[in-house]
Amino acid sequence: MGVLRPLIQRPGKLAVFACIAVVATVALAEGVRWSRSAPHHAKPEAVQTVAPPPVTLTEVSRAIIPMPKGVPSAHASALAQLPHGDLISFWWAGSRESGPDVQVYASRWSKGRWSDNWVVASRDSLGAALGHGVRRIGNPVAWTGADGTVHLYVVATGLGGWAASRVVQLQSTDEGATFKVRRVLPMSPVFNTSVLVRSSPVELAGGGWWLPVYFEIGHKYPMLVSFDAHGDPQRLTRIGARTRSLQPTLVPVSNTEVRAWMRDATKDNSVVQQAVSHDGGFTWEDMGPTTIRNLGTSLAVLRLDSGNLLMLRNDGTNPETARSTLTLSQSTDGQTWQEVTDIVSGQPGDEFSYPAMYQLGDELHITYTYQRRAIAHHRMKIHLAKDLP
Amino acid sequence: MSLPELSLQIIYARLAWGLVAASMLLSVLPALLPKLFPALAQRTKLIVAVTVALVMVLPGAASPAYWLTLVFQYPSGLLTGYSLVALCARWNEKPVDFLLHPAFALLLTVLGVVLYLDAFGVLALGLYYHGFDADASAVLAVTAALAGVAAIWLRFGAGGAALLTGVLLFSLLRLPTGNLWDALLDPLLWAWALASLIAAACRYYIASKAGSQVQHTVAPDAEPELAQTRAGGME
Repeated sequence: MGVLRPLIQRPGKLAVFACIAVVATVALAEGVRWSRSAPHHAKPEAVQTVAPPPVTLTEVSRAIIPMPKGVPSAHASALAQLPHGDLISFWWAGSRESGPDVQVYASRWSKGRWSDNWVVASRDSLGAALGHGVRRIGNPVAWTGADGTVHLYVVATGLGGWAASRVVQLQSTDEGATFKVRRVLPMSPVFNTSVLVRSSPVELAGGGWWLPVYFEIGHKYPMLVSFDAHGDPQRLTRIGARTRSLQPTLVPVSNTEVRAWMRDATKDNSVVQQAVSHDGGFTWEDMGPTTIRNLGTSLAVLRLDSGNLLMLRNDGTNPETARSTLTLSQSTDGQTWQEVTDIVSGQPGDEFSYPAMYQLGDELHITYTYQRRAIAHHRMKIHLAKDLP
Repeated sequence: MSLPELSLQIIYARLAWGLVAASMLLSVLPALLPKLFPALAQRTKLIVAVTVALVMVLPGAASPAYWLTLVFQYPSGLLTGYSLVALCARWNEKPVDFLLHPAFALLLTVLGVVLYLDAFGVLALGLYYHGFDADASAVLAVTAALAGVAAIWLRFGAGGAALLTGVLLFSLLRLPTGNLWDALLDPLLWAWALASLIAAACRYYIASKAGSQVQHTVAPDAEPELAQTRAGGME
């Protein structure tokens, strides 16, 4: 490669005309685009601000989602609702984490049972659609738009490990049966690498949603991408300024205040980290850390229709027990948390991790990684205080 | 955000990586190829251009663009512009300097340092995010186009033409990613700018050192030498 040396003479008439044409074209194109752009100020749906009474939960059923045969490793489930009231779960499975044969699978919860699984994305299918290679497949996250389109976000790496991750956006108009790749979301100027998804999106007024994402190489920090009702990204924002927080889970706690709870990447005395936005998610500031333990593992927070907040997280105290128990807590204000029950509790070395939650009517659905071999599903009945005898 | 269609990005990847590869090969092969194959000396440029074009349009994983995009994603519009300008220069056998002009190199280096520190979380400015803003990118794109024209007017034709190419790609098609920063800079271009800057600094240091040595050693004889030159009619 090389470049021309500086011209010896001033540009000629043709060059001057070409320059004027280019500037005019740029100005016209940008002007047209600017005049058509609408400011994206979508905020989360209005929420009830009166502190609700605590809820109680009773387990209705538990099951293992049908796994692909002969595939020993499974991890990182996500839940979304389908247009006619069914649920759909996504997770990745393969011979091992980061293995070349890892694919994203789906299963449908309908009439009280899970369907057989099917493949929705592999590195070959993504590579063919994107026109460039994909090395590894990772966490999926899903959201169903108001028009019934299922939007799926899948981590797909370039050259390297998870630090080389990118997020591929796919969508399905046939209730998750097949997916079409839309794009790789541009989120970093450094070869667009090291951005991942893990937690569930949050609904916005007007039909859009927020997708929580995070940057992972070196410093780790959370972000969110705001989408409109058509699934087109509108805005990218960093959550706070901390550099040791990742996998944000976002919940609106009032009509203007949104909270983010995050996995802690510090090695010692790690606890759930938190950030807050007082303007509906436009700007964020770090809050002091919670006192809730978090030994480097993903957590989920959900706002129930009643207004109660539920947090599902690992409650380990050392590396051996870091992921062996999943504890459900609830809060009415996001400040103080009360433990409700252990969803699952195992022996040191067991792994029950990466939880996902979804409310469907008066039922709470929970999925999580079961011993890195499968995805477990718990169904719980939600009892409001006024319903109790 | 206004993002390009995926199909457009796939085409851009093939074309842009093809331009980068062709311009790099043409900086090496015209000297190398005739030594290896003397009979091909007159057709080096054509051979390189055709070969690169054919290889890049190969389907799927057979194309180098498939792998280059896996690793680096898309070259910035500015790097594509520089490659196009360099390719034209090689094609027309005009004098070419491998290094970027120090002023451009300094600007790109400083810009890259701030942008990448922000991306890696060391700073929390959110610079990259503003590259998607319709307001900010409209102003910056027009400013960059004017800067490109000014560069050409000030006789920095390569930098100016490359900048105009990158801005045009962004404004018309939102390539490569829909973000203005990705149109103006990528880590490869940043590395090239940094290398150019270091080389320029080294050149300056060596020249100033040599100059001071010459001044120190020949200063007493300077006047007679000047007189001889003038006498020879070479002034």
